[in-house]
Amino acid sequence: MKGSTIDQNISCYHCGEACRDEQIRQDDKTFCCLGCKTVYNVLRNNKLDQYYQIEAQAGTRQKAAQFGKFDYLDDRKVEEELLLFKDDKISSVKFELPQIHCSACIWLLERLYKFHQGVIESKVNFLRREVTILFEHQKISLKELAGLLQSIGYEPNINLSNTTAKKKRKKIDRKIAYQVGLAGFAFGNIMLLSLPEYFGITEGADQNLSRWFNWLNLLLATPVAIYSGQDYFKSAWHSLKQKRLNIDVPIAVGVLVLYLRSTYEIVAQSGSGYFDSLCGLLFFLLLGRLFQQKVYHQLSFERDYQSYFPIAVSRVEEGQRKSVPLKNLKKGDKIFVRNGELIPVDARLIKGNAKIDNSFISGESRLIEKQLGEKIFAGGKQVGGSIYLEVLKPLDQSRLTSLWNRYAGMKKEKYESHFSKRTDKISEWFTPIILLIAIFSAYFHLSSGWSEAIEVVTSVLIVACPCALALAAPFTLGHAIRKAGRKACYFRDSAVMENLASISHIVFDKTGTLTLKESARFQYVGTQLNDYEKTAFGSLLAQSTHPLSKVLSTELVPDKEAEIDHFEEIEGKGILGIIDGKLFQIGSAKWLNTEIENDGSSIVVFAFEKEVIGYFKIKNSFRSHLKEIVDELGHDHELSMISGDRKGGQENIMKIFPAHSQLLFEQSPEEKVLFIENLKNKKHKVAMVGDGLNDSAALQTADVGISIADDVHAFSPASDIILDGKSFGYLPSLMKLAKYSRNIIWISFGISFLYNLIGLSFAVQGLLSPVIAAILMPVSSISVVGFVSLASWLKKLKAVY
Amino acid sequence: MGVLVLLIIASLIVALGFLFAFLWSVRSGQYEDEYTPSVRMLFEDENTGLEEKENK
Amino acid sequence: MSTENTQVEKFSYDNNIVRLFANATILWGVVGMLVGLLVAFQLIFPVLNLNLEYTAFGRIRPLHTNAVIFAFVGNGIFAGVYYSLQRLLKTRMYSDLLGKINFWGWQLIIVSAAITLPLGLTTSKEYAELEWPIDIAIALIWVVFGWNMFGTILKRRERHLYVAIWFYIATFVTVAVLHIVNSFELPVSLFKSYSWYAGVQDALVQWWYGHNAVAFFLTTPYLGLMYYFIPKAVNRPVFSYRLSIIHFWALIFLYIWAGPHHLLYTALPDWAQSLGVVFSVMLIAPSWGGMINGLLTLRGAWDKVRDSAVLKFLVVAVTAYGMSTFEGPMLSLKNVNAIAHFTDWIVAHVHVGALGWNGFLTFGMLYYLFPKLYKTQIFSPKLTSTSGSAP
Repeated sequence: MKGSTIDQNISCYHCGEACRDEQIRQDDKTFCCLGCKTVYNVLRNNKLDQYYQIEAQAGTRQKAAQFGKFDYLDDRKVEEELLLFKDDKISSVKFELPQIHCSACIWLLERLYKFHQGVIESKVNFLRREVTILFEHQKISLKELAGLLQSIGYEPNINLSNTTAKKKRKKIDRKIAYQVGLAGFAFGNIMLLSLPEYFGITEGADQNLSRWFNWLNLLLATPVAIYSGQDYFKSAWHSLKQKRLNIDVPIAVGVLVLYLRSTYEIVAQSGSGYFDSLCGLLFFLLLGRLFQQKVYHQLSFERDYQSYFPIAVSRVEEGQRKSVPLKNLKKGDKIFVRNGELIPVDARLIKGNAKIDNSFISGESRLIEKQLGEKIFAGGKQVGGSIYLEVLKPLDQSRLTSLWNRYAGMKKEKYESHFSKRTDKISEWFTPIILLIAIFSAYFHLSSGWSEAIEVVTSVLIVACPCALALAAPFTLGHAIRKAGRKACYFRDSAVMENLASISHIVFDKTGTLTLKESARFQYVGTQLNDYEKTAFGSLLAQSTHPLSKVLSTELVPDKEAEIDHFEEIEGKGILGIIDGKLFQIGSAKWLNTEIENDGSSIVVFAFEKEVIGYFKIKNSFRSHLKEIVDELGHDHELSMISGDRKGGQENIMKIFPAHSQLLFEQSPEEKVLFIENLKNKKHKVAMVGDGLNDSAALQTADVGISIADDVHAFSPASDIILDGKSFGYLPSLMKLAKYSRNIIWISFGISFLYNLIGLSFAVQGLLSPVIAAILMPVSSISVVGFVSLASWLKKLKAVY
Repeated sequence: MGVLVLLIIASLIVALGFLFAFLWSVRSGQYEDEYTPSVRMLFEDENTGLEEKENK
Repeated sequence: MSTENTQVEKFSYDNNIVRLFANATILWGVVGMLVGLLVAFQLIFPVLNLNLEYTAFGRIRPLHTNAVIFAFVGNGIFAGVYYSLQRLLKTRMYSDLLGKINFWGWQLIIVSAAITLPLGLTTSKEYAELEWPIDIAIALIWVVFGWNMFGTILKRRERHLYVAIWFYIATFVTVAVLHIVNSFELPVSLFKSYSWYAGVQDALVQWWYGHNAVAFFLTTPYLGLMYYFIPKAVNRPVFSYRLSIIHFWALIFLYIWAGPHHLLYTALPDWAQSLGVVFSVMLIAPSWGGMINGLLTLRGAWDKVRDSAVLKFLVVAVTAYGMSTFEGPMLSLKNVNAIAHFTDWIVAHVHVGALGWNGFLTFGMLYYLFPKLYKTQIFSPKLTSTSGSAP
């Protein structure tokens, strides 16, 4: 019967997690906790348990619900900030629900009206993990609605950023859709209207017809050139004003010349122009942009401290607690903070027992005790009882928030150009050369007259239009981003991929980045220890000097000391003790005759009277294969580490890094920023890898900020790349992917230049017939896109085998 | 080829109609969410819908 | 709590109309293919024309094409649309009566086609052989269908229009325009009319119609059905919904109007033909985008194909679609066409499209629908699988 109490095979009917701590049974079903069972009952009572048939074990593990958590939603001002709209009868609100993860979630959340008749309609956006709810506020209040969601296992994530950022979004996404649509529409119809032209019907009575069509083409192409092409003109103009030549300049020149020459031909009745090429060109270019456009709407790369701060706090007014919006707090206000809540502003402790968890801001998990009257910075979390604070500085002047505000937005300007920086750089010499060629060929053809010279110049400018050049980068980078996405590595946009290829120095944060979070290290399997056992085992652990015992004794702290009658430490096996005449053993699985599947973690088994009760799995505090990953990265990059932790006991981490790496400890967020700025001044290209908010500013400062998140949807500071903690080992491949993509782009540039060369050789001779222009343009674009796709695909094969 | 005029007018009218349909669909937010609708259409409201699901 | 009953709207889907169309599809499928068999035999054994003018090859062949395209595929479209539209929009059809008129009117048209064609009453336009009174009836019934569809869309309870619905809308609008423009004719008697257009102009209109009829009667509605029935049959979302949206609009804006290029090229100058090739090659992209989207929906679920006859049919259909849309542009190349023209290859190409794509998708759809419509099981799953592998 040894180890019979440990049954890992039973998983929770609701959430699918193994029922370790407890097993609650109902209707032949097992649940891992009371929360899961409650949700199951709510669903069953509302006849919605089809939920589990759509996806087995569709729920998420329930945390103990906090009573009265959403009280502040009753506040008129808070409500106003959250609602999308409100009239006499109907209100609409959008909630962020991080728990959304499968199709059953969609199914259930869109049937909210079955739970409460006040709900009119609820629509889920799966990728953004949002639900938009239309409800009658006389029948169900906002607070009740949030409570309803909480009761079925989807607790809304309401924070400060809901009120500010949300309203700005949209618009931009739609513009490009309109532009592509318009270009595509005109492209198709101009091809149709050019039928007589294609069929060579240019004589006799039908000539009028084809002229009439030409005018129609002009009519169709004009909005395309103006509306769909506007971004290229604007960008070209912008860059010219700064005396630079980006890739948009030759494109804009190409489009403009194409348009003017076609218009001239039609007005002068000398031909029918190239409006089909014009619209096709813009159509493909815009399609490329659509392709590389933000792929991961669902992840917020702009997350700042606002996403972690509450929307409202309890202010104490004349002995009464009242919810007020956080932004309305003023210096001198008294506020009330409960267990587990965030300290929202810099404040002074005036009542209560403050234990602050600063892991959010400094990465350190040790609790810091504060005395009455002591200053507490915003961003920490109160653990323990409730406390009263006096506000010292309002939100936007608090130390950390102002630091973050300063660095936020620093990067924005980098992402203005539609194409990669490399493409722009090439353009700086490409454009003058083309202009020179145009001038020279004009000079040579001048002998045949002005009109022919102009003809040749326009031909040169049209055929040299670097559309294939402009397509190479978006498609390559778009592919690369999607590929990385499959490894749970998400990019802000394609320019980041390019920056990554040139990184020379990688800076790591320690806690949470190279090491796992403390809380994630321990996993207990088996029957839950009761107080008596806790005291006994805890006291034994405290006696032992074994490193694992030391680690465990931080997790298993006994309330009081037990009297140990006998204590023995057996090397390589474990410890045993006799307390109240009973035998307690702690040690290896082998010693205690039990078999436990091992995945490389340390296992410590607990036994009472020779009967196994359970065991602790202690994961290595470093991420798995850290040494190999760091070694591999060290081949091509310099490495550094800056940690907020103290230096003591960090010998292990020093062994992992190459000898010449810089390892810094006890660094404040400001010092981290300075360190990176210094590197940048020394012409290093810096990538910062970090997690918590303490790295937030450093991530913004670095050329590429990579934030490591154990749940990509829930927690990550503003950065360029969000990397799932489980995919940490992907980092070296990611750096290679970036370099590989850069090479592909170079080769594509080569191909595109070849086409331009061929086209130009015809154009300068004045031999550019419509056929060559019409064929060369799409063929060059398509072959570049084809090459890029093929190359990315081959790379994928290589990665698989 | 006078008939071309007719064909092209007919085609143009249809194409313009679709252009407006396209503009409407973008503006009314039909494509705000490019994933959820594809899952939503899988749900059956009738009781019969369940029968074909594999029983676990 | 007093308002509880008023809140819950009760509605049911109209499955009756779907049943009618589904049964008609089977009936006309059998008829159309039997006639096809007869036509095929007549090619080897001319004696099978029975020495009657009514069963002569020239009269029976249009009967076969009309029966298969408009009776078999047509009823299949209606069955699929009437089934999926209600479910996608979460509402009953706008009007049961309009549905009934749509059904019986369409069958009446088919029957009158089956009578007039052997009698030799024809406008002699390919795929539009029927005489003017029937043409008018087609237009009216088609409008009834559109009326019913738009009515349903307007009273929908689901804001988003799933991509399949867009394909249905495109089908309705374009087929209406194509049919009306192509069928302008001057009646001289009840059973005889002359085309409004003369000579080569008539030919131009005819092939503008002919090509687009393939695009909009045999392709777009079935793409819509594909985007509905494949995800349903595998019970997982389409591979990329975003791609399907792009697929639709690319098709609408580019595919249609570039189509005539490669059909009309015989009298074209050389450079225009080269251009036609470029466009034809470009056209493979949207078609194959759809095919890949359909097939990739099955990624990671190919084992389901082993057990599900519905999926077998659908997979073959989509593959056939891919083949015929590749073959089409290839056949339009001048040098390929020089060899292929007037050979059985063309006939084979049409059958890859009509039988492989439309036929198999219809079969798969019917196998999916019948157990649901009649709340029953397939009579013999084994026979289903056999019927799928036999042709």
